[in-house]
Amino acid sequence: MANARNRSLEVTIISGEDLRINGRPIKNNAFVTVKAESRCSPSSHESTKPDARGDSYPYWDEKLHVELPAGSPYVVVEAHRRSSSAGDKLVGMAWIPVSDFVGDYTPENHLHFLSYRLRDAKGLRNGIINISVRVVTSSHKGASSCSSPLPPPVLESRMPVDREKHGGTVTGVPVWFPNQWKS
Amino acid sequence: MGCCFSDVRGGQEAVGGTQQRPIGGVGVGGGGGNNGGHNDAVDLFFRARGQHALFSQIELSLSASKLRDRDIMSKSDPMAVVYLRKGDGMLEELGRTEVILNSLDPAWIEKISLAYHFETVQHLVFHVYDVDTKYHKVPVKTLKLKDQEFLGEASCVLSEIVTKQSRSLTLSLHNKNLQVGVRNLGTLTVRAEESVASRTAVEIIFRCSQLGNKDMFSKSDPFLRISRVVESGGSLPICKTEVINNNLNPSWRPLCLSMQQFGSKENPLVIECFDFDTSGNHALIGKLQKSMADLEKLHKGRNGANFTLPSSHHGHEKVLKSQLFVDQFCEKQQHSFLDYISSGFELSFMVAVDFTASNGNPRNPDSLHYIDPSGRYNSYQQAIMEVGEVIQFYDSDRRFTAWGFGGRTYDGTVSHCFNLNGSPDGYEVEGVEGIMAAYAGALHNVSMAGPTLFGQVINRAAQIAGKSLSYNHSKYYVLLIITDGVLTDEQETVDALVRASDLPLSILIVGVGGADFTQMEKLDADHGIRLESSTGRIATRDIVQFVPMREVHRGGISAAQALLEELPGQFLTYMRARDIKPRNPTPP
Repeated sequence: MANARNRSLEVTIISGEDLRINGRPIKNNAFVTVKAESRCSPSSHESTKPDARGDSYPYWDEKLHVELPAGSPYVVVEAHRRSSSAGDKLVGMAWIPVSDFVGDYTPENHLHFLSYRLRDAKGLRNGIINISVRVVTSSHKGASSCSSPLPPPVLESRMPVDREKHGGTVTGVPVWFPNQWKS
Repeated sequence: MGCCFSDVRGGQEAVGGTQQRPIGGVGVGGGGGNNGGHNDAVDLFFRARGQHALFSQIELSLSASKLRDRDIMSKSDPMAVVYLRKGDGMLEELGRTEVILNSLDPAWIEKISLAYHFETVQHLVFHVYDVDTKYHKVPVKTLKLKDQEFLGEASCVLSEIVTKQSRSLTLSLHNKNLQVGVRNLGTLTVRAEESVASRTAVEIIFRCSQLGNKDMFSKSDPFLRISRVVESGGSLPICKTEVINNNLNPSWRPLCLSMQQFGSKENPLVIECFDFDTSGNHALIGKLQKSMADLEKLHKGRNGANFTLPSSHHGHEKVLKSQLFVDQFCEKQQHSFLDYISSGFELSFMVAVDFTASNGNPRNPDSLHYIDPSGRYNSYQQAIMEVGEVIQFYDSDRRFTAWGFGGRTYDGTVSHCFNLNGSPDGYEVEGVEGIMAAYAGALHNVSMAGPTLFGQVINRAAQIAGKSLSYNHSKYYVLLIITDGVLTDEQETVDALVRASDLPLSILIVGVGGADFTQMEKLDADHGIRLESSTGRIATRDIVQFVPMREVHRGGISAAQALLEELPGQFLTYMRARDIKPRNPTPP
């Protein structure tokens, strides 16, 4: 069984497309949470920072760590919109089968670029989420069918680009392009 | 069946200025991954005006050794001429070197330029002459070759030179008639170098201030369009930014332009700022003309340049308060397609042939599979040859994968992915001749059946491409599917395509015969509509190109060549997105 191991995933939430609430495109402050779907007690989830500038096509490019317990069949990605007045509203979710990035003939630590259709609370189509996933480490399953609670993973996110220095724009350097600016 | 509404969101996306992200496209994150700067509409626009938008400029340097001595009192004074052999056999002169006096081992300085076209087989012919003394002071261009002494001829295909790590090839010179047993005429060495322009790119961030308001109840929705001024006096658009809604001081996402797109740093560029309108009638907010060098100066000085509007009075231009700023100007070198190829990256060719009954009985001259005894190729053979002949130079072992689908094989069952060579375990054949032989053989052993399904073939190709990643990242797979008909299960194909979309694989589909291929065009997601599988997964990038064989292409290229044109771009998008570099690269 491909999923007989505990795995650590590095999930980069890249961008979203055509996010709407009640049919209207959202204005700003979309953010995304990721967690592994598990039969055990709820696993902790990670979130990105809200994209204050982007409208219904937000861009985050933020790396999050997700622990994927053995036997977990899905990684769940949820897009929300944060509003100071109305609180957080769910835009849509995507259930990503682990088989899409594990055991599909590619090597274990391959960097996968994946995109999924988001569906809202009523199950209607609501935009697209673009992510990348890489399995960072994996260790064999322990004796119990449910893995013991793991220490809370470190929330890793990039520092937002200083707006003043760059003239009010995200430079758009993909995280995995460290040598982008070498001339 | 079709939607009455045009794809407004698609129309708002950035075009032409590549961003090295595999998904989220350019600009506002929409649309299936920008294909290395390729956009069919842009390419067609250029081709219709006689210009190829994206190609590599190559310079050939020649040297020879042990040339025949024709002169009595001194050594030969050699000069070389380079030709391109066209389809009809005629030779078109590309250029000639200078004359080197008194040498049998000349190393010419003068280089010959030509454009590298991945999609065609470029046959080069070289002639070496001994130039008589009385012509020595005359410009080389005016020399009449029939008055000179012919020293020898050599020929090769350009791809043979550029795929080698040394990017050079040594050929034996021979007589024009290829006589056997003639004494040694010496050798000619050809070296190919890509011009620097092929690798230079500039990444720019544009920002505007105080744009005019063209909308009635809200602010303008601005975007920029950048065009290149051409010799004939007009301008050709090379790219546009995404649309930013409701903003008079917008800052767009970074634009990456290759030097092939903008020509040179001194070439004047026209930058126009429009207000996006869903009707397509975008209002001009302002325009200005600057070269890349000017834009660099604007960036360094942190200055703005004012937009102008053509005025109705006396042809004067009205200078506006609106300004353009260059917040970022970063010149960088990117590895070109040939950098990867010469460092050992390869294209692996796979072909899948349609054996469904709709093709007709192969024994019948009306059948699409009829093998004409006169030797004239049928559509299947033509497609295999046109694509195979080009790609074979990029695969070092020339072992190709060949499958058939939709046919009933020897054991009586219908298979949707069987080995064309009839072997139970090996799907490979040697060379393009091997594919042609396996195809002819299969026509005898396999009976036409159906239905038309691509899913299995695509899954097998994806499996092979995925498995190869465990060994190296330097193989890129190209699957050519040749089919006469309409897909029976579109969703199955879409599911397979989505699953394959993140792999080093491109799928070229050629439609033969007269069927209605509208459905196929949907698979080729050039309209920005990304394919969606039945499980909710969306294609990472657009890996499918479709063309009907009967389609006539401008510029004299065939349908198969039109498919191949996209390949270097798809290859580069894949490699750059994952930061895979050529092996042991020389610094670009």
